[in-house]
Amino acid sequence: MNCPESLRTQAYFDGELDAARAAASERHTAQCAECRALLADLAHLRGGLRNLGRATAPAALRARIDAALDAAPRPRAEPAPGAPPTWRTRPFWWGALGGVGISLAAAALAVVVLLPPLGTALEGQLVDAHVRSLLPDRLIAVVSSDRHTVKPWFAGHADVSPTVADFATQGYPLIGGRADSVDHQRAAVTVYRHGAHVINVFTWSAHGIAPAAHALRLGYRIACWRAADLQYCAVSDTGWDELDALVRLIEQAGMNR
Amino acid sequence: MMDDRRARFEAQVLPHLDAAYRYARWLSAAPGDADDVVQDAILRAFRGFDALRGTDVKAWLLAIVRNCHLSAQRQTQRRGYVPLPQEHDAEDAYALVASAPGPEALTIRRDQERALGRVLAEMAEEQREVLVLREIEDLDYRQIAAVTRVPIGTVMSRLARARAQLRTRWLTTVEALP
Repeated sequence: MNCPESLRTQAYFDGELDAARAAASERHTAQCAECRALLADLAHLRGGLRNLGRATAPAALRARIDAALDAAPRPRAEPAPGAPPTWRTRPFWWGALGGVGISLAAAALAVVVLLPPLGTALEGQLVDAHVRSLLPDRLIAVVSSDRHTVKPWFAGHADVSPTVADFATQGYPLIGGRADSVDHQRAAVTVYRHGAHVINVFTWSAHGIAPAAHALRLGYRIACWRAADLQYCAVSDTGWDELDALVRLIEQAGMNR
Repeated sequence: MMDDRRARFEAQVLPHLDAAYRYARWLSAAPGDADDVVQDAILRAFRGFDALRGTDVKAWLLAIVRNCHLSAQRQTQRRGYVPLPQEHDAEDAYALVASAPGPEALTIRRDQERALGRVLAEMAEEQREVLVLREIEDLDYRQIAAVTRVPIGTVMSRLARARAQLRTRWLTTVEALP
């Protein structure tokens, strides 16, 4: 690999570039046969490797862990001996700050701790609601792949009437809906499946500051957008590409209705 | 009795048990070792759970798995036990490939997956681990940097080297299959 841009092409493939850098990378790739071949190779390898990722923890191990947790003493608050001493959402920056001096790092830490970015409380609510929905029997109140069943159900159970459609042919079958509390409202939650992943799309009446378009929290991805006077947020453990594809489908369906 | 703390732990951390298990399996020489590493890691995570605030649970748990693996490895070395990493790794990789259900047409793909698993298992741990974290566990560069405790630039160059090497070995091994 001799092209000096190959690391950036790789970062493009991994979805690590912002829009401007991604566009620059695409312009480069259009000119560079080596980077086009690299992208094809990377996609090929990813296809093969993803198939290796389906192993799950055996039931016996789960049972062992469950028993060990039962036997674990009630802990005092102490850091996990195996965990890094300071673990934050942006460890890269802590690494970058490492050489600057403890007081500066401490000041920066205080700023981050004291001034959480806007919308984090909301993101927390969304992820909590998503995680709750994955508990047994919590996911769906109305089970249906038919939007003519799901949408009227919302009328009686939520404060808003969101776009609902079945995208089974595009790989996102509608599996049902439920109501949940978000931002002090009765939000409509439309539930889609994509492969083995569940995607919860929360909709409530938009007001105040819009949440960030993309957020990562506790390992879950949150994609938010507004349409008319409604706030939509899709939450899942899929990758960004898969989540954004569903966002586009719902936006298009909303414009066509 | 399930208290509130235990319930929160199960809701937030245990969804990542499969990821922890897969990562431990790719790190460990023998399946039994991986089970011990995962159990150790979950218990450590449970003890340290209160210190976890608004953070990335999956990367946090995988970092603990990695530390448990490293300390288990150090203990094994201190006992003077010499494992046969390459052969064990290769055998281990077969078991990691979930058997795909279906007709015989899938057999070829399954053979390819097994061979790919073996190629991956034979790579250096440093390279195998970035590939597993990126491609199988879908972590981004920042998360991988945090789990493996190296700068992001190192993650990028390691990934590039690992992918180039995997590609070369895969072409010679997997695609030479009948």
